[in-house]
Amino acid sequence: MRPSLFVLAVILALPLQGRAAYPERPITLIVPFAAGGPTDVVARIVGEHMSRTLGQQVVVENVAGAGGTTGSTRAAQATPDGYTLIMGHMGTHGAAPAVYPDLKYDPAKSFQPIGMAAGTPILVVAKKSFPAKDLKEFVAYVKKNSEKLNEAHAGVGSVSYTTCAFFNSLIGAKPTRVVYRGTGPALNDLVSGQVDYMCDQIVNLVPQIQAGTIKAYGVALPQRSPALPDVPTTKEGGLPEFQVSAWNAIFAPKGVPPEVVKKLSDALTKALADENTRKRLLDLGADLSDKAAQTPEGLAKLVDSEVVRWKKVLASASKDATPPK
Amino acid sequence: MSTLLSNLALGFSVAFTLHNLGLCFMGCLVGTLIGVLPGIGPIATITMLLPVTFGLPPVGALIMLAGIYYGAQYGGSTTAILVNIPGEVTSVVTTIDGHQMAKQGRAGAALGISALGSFFAGCVSTLIIAGLAVPLTRLALLFGPSEYAALMTAGLAFAVVLARGSILKSIAMVLLGLLLSTVGQDLETGAERMTFGLPSLSDGIDFAVLAMGLFGFAEVMRNLTVDQARDVVHGKIGKLLPSGAELRQSAGAVVRGTLLGAILGILPGNGAVLGPFASYALEKKIARDPRRFGRGAIEGVAGPESANNAGAQTSFIPLLTLGIPPNAVMALMVGAMTIHGIVPGPLVMTRNASLFWGVIASMWIGNLMLLVINLPLIGAWVRLLKVPYRLMYPAIVIVCCVGIYSVNNLPQDVALTAVVALFGYAGTRLGFESAPLLLGFVLGRLLEENLRRALAISRGDLAIFIHRPVSAWLLFTGLVVLVVAVLPSIRSRREQVFVEE
Amino acid sequence: MGRVRVQAPQDLVAGASLLAVSLFALWAAAPLDAGRMSAPGPGLLPRVLAVLLGGVGVWLVVVSLVRPGESLGHWSLRGPVLIALSVVAFAVTIRTPGLAVAGPAAMLVAGAASPETRWRELAVFSVAVTAVCVGLFRWLLHLPIPILVIPGWVVL
Repeated sequence: MRPSLFVLAVILALPLQGRAAYPERPITLIVPFAAGGPTDVVARIVGEHMSRTLGQQVVVENVAGAGGTTGSTRAAQATPDGYTLIMGHMGTHGAAPAVYPDLKYDPAKSFQPIGMAAGTPILVVAKKSFPAKDLKEFVAYVKKNSEKLNEAHAGVGSVSYTTCAFFNSLIGAKPTRVVYRGTGPALNDLVSGQVDYMCDQIVNLVPQIQAGTIKAYGVALPQRSPALPDVPTTKEGGLPEFQVSAWNAIFAPKGVPPEVVKKLSDALTKALADENTRKRLLDLGADLSDKAAQTPEGLAKLVDSEVVRWKKVLASASKDATPPK
Repeated sequence: MSTLLSNLALGFSVAFTLHNLGLCFMGCLVGTLIGVLPGIGPIATITMLLPVTFGLPPVGALIMLAGIYYGAQYGGSTTAILVNIPGEVTSVVTTIDGHQMAKQGRAGAALGISALGSFFAGCVSTLIIAGLAVPLTRLALLFGPSEYAALMTAGLAFAVVLARGSILKSIAMVLLGLLLSTVGQDLETGAERMTFGLPSLSDGIDFAVLAMGLFGFAEVMRNLTVDQARDVVHGKIGKLLPSGAELRQSAGAVVRGTLLGAILGILPGNGAVLGPFASYALEKKIARDPRRFGRGAIEGVAGPESANNAGAQTSFIPLLTLGIPPNAVMALMVGAMTIHGIVPGPLVMTRNASLFWGVIASMWIGNLMLLVINLPLIGAWVRLLKVPYRLMYPAIVIVCCVGIYSVNNLPQDVALTAVVALFGYAGTRLGFESAPLLLGFVLGRLLEENLRRALAISRGDLAIFIHRPVSAWLLFTGLVVLVVAVLPSIRSRREQVFVEE
Repeated sequence: MGRVRVQAPQDLVAGASLLAVSLFALWAAAPLDAGRMSAPGPGLLPRVLAVLLGGVGVWLVVVSLVRPGESLGHWSLRGPVLIALSVVAFAVTIRTPGLAVAGPAAMLVAGAASPETRWRELAVFSVAVTAVCVGLFRWLLHLPIPILVIPGWVVL
């Protein structure tokens, strides 16, 4: 009689213990892209510090596919207990509804924002032999000759795809958009001169620009990036409307308890305030200036505005673009 | 020359510390292990072990991760030879003659020549990296989409040479492999191709699913249905190492395979996968008695194994000299370097000279360690064959299942493999072979993407493949290979021998 | 008029299967835009390949009526079906309740495929192999494979 009462008591006590202290076991941070890319690197750097604050390992799990939407769908459908998070970005939680008509999640409604980790500024780069001295000449040349030019991007739904769609529609260019499986191959063909230009995140491009294998015409930031002080901003180059940042942010599935959100948000803030973490992110060229978006509420606002923005941009871009073959 | 020597000296001084030697050893050991385990590859392992390297200095971390990658090439041949399951993409070709050798009781010789050939290839490739990295990179930059498309088309011709039996059925398998490679989301338009709405197919069929299904499970199915009296790979163990005569036979294949693999490995876009296939095709064509191939010809193991190891080493070149990863594993290395504060690019060679040369020197040390690890293990592996099949095959089933699951953590992948296996079993009963299918599958994506890319850049001008010299030459080579391969079979139609599985 | 005799049944069935696959592929690729030869769309290559595959299939069927070849041989059902079932058993049990159950389950179902299986021996062996897998994949390689998952109670 007594042993079974004891067992019953233990069983009843277990779920109560579950509520006690979050986190009790490792947390999975889904990165919806292949390992080694910019979002992955940011996730690992930030996650490492958050592990220390939270007292449990933040384990990065790469779930790549479909421009990041496979991993995002998985995260949206996960149990909202705080043990599954996702490092989404401008593509998965901003442009995705515009790019993928039957998207299986809603960036605003399916997710609970935690905070922005880091933004990676976008640059306009071209092959070494491109006949233009600065952004003004570049824009003029592209406008005049766009039908003869080839623009590289890393796949439908990727950062390079959406940001260059924006760029092209701003200046009214209609180049042939050549698709690659990822930034690596695209960059390779840019370096070897097979394609003419590209818009991509600073993280991938810094070493090539510094070595002179490609030319950088402008960085889409209000002021110059410390990682590339010689590259003028798009404002200086005469195209101030081209302001884009591929922001990376942490989300949890909708329905996560508020205490958990607060704990995660605090851990993120601590990580971004840490000297070492900041240095590693800034060395990559990341932009940590948008403090407002580092809070859950600020991030929610950002997501809403980005979804609206990219819907508009991509709708107008597809109107003037060369129809896909 | 003297700068090369002084650079190598710098490299060795970095690589020879106790710390780095230990990390190199660990990397090689883990690499061998995952090479042996079917399904799990360097990508999953390096991703998982990346956090473990955070506490290490960058050089040490890279040395270990690199060791995992090329170590996996050594290990992949083990399962290919012993149980006809390719541990890695690059071991598919090794199954053809390697497993036949094992069935004839020559498993030791196959494993031995595999290790020795890989060691030779590793040493030569390391020298190539040390001396020729920069000029070779410039050569690689000449390769654009049209050259790649031409190269892959030429590669398809190898499939015909791979055939053991009916060439017609082999061609059919290549076509089927190409067809299967198109399943998934189209890169250019985002359209879902033949995925039937299944999200797990959206990124295409996984190579591991096909390899496990066609080679792993289907093989088990085949072995179970054969008369139980004929036990697989039983009987004499044979010598544990290749004989002197066999070594002399394979020497040429090893050298040729090394050169082929080394050149193809440099090409960004994963040209390295072609290496083993090209080597096998070459060896079969220049052999005095090509009919030995498919029946346990040692050159059919020596050449491809050297090629795949050479390719694995030289694929570091674009990463180290340009900072642009040629394949998914190297992309991981980019991430690893970045996290450790070193952003890979053209300046790494000069700015982080000790890192650059340290990694190169450690590759040579790693190859030596792998030889030391693998040769004694041959005895252990071969003894493993004595386990009665009634116990071995459930073990094979479970290890393959875990291997496939580990790729994407999706039970659907595992279930799909079962379906593939049933088709694979039916296929072999109908006289179809799996190796050409895998070749077609592997080349398919590369071929189609580059074809469409080349046509996009040339604005639809098909003549671009002939206008550009490298591409034209490659297409011509492919044509020659095809004609040379098909000719004998047309002439000796009556004597065509059907080899039973 | 002589009857058409099938000289090579294996080739006949092989060719027919290829034809079936080819038609299936053409059906599956039907909604895709083929584009033109000089500007291929997503549907071009699948269709071309399917047609070529079908062509080889037809050729094989014709050849099978003309040239002598292999017979169909013996097709066993028990082995392949049970192996396939064992893999499916693994797939179904791996997430919940985890490898600790999926391992032995798969191995035991696979065991049913061979008449030589000794059950007690296999049962012990499967527990041992599963344990080795846990140590190898989970502990050594850090792979996130669920070992034992009972919802609401245990997560390993």
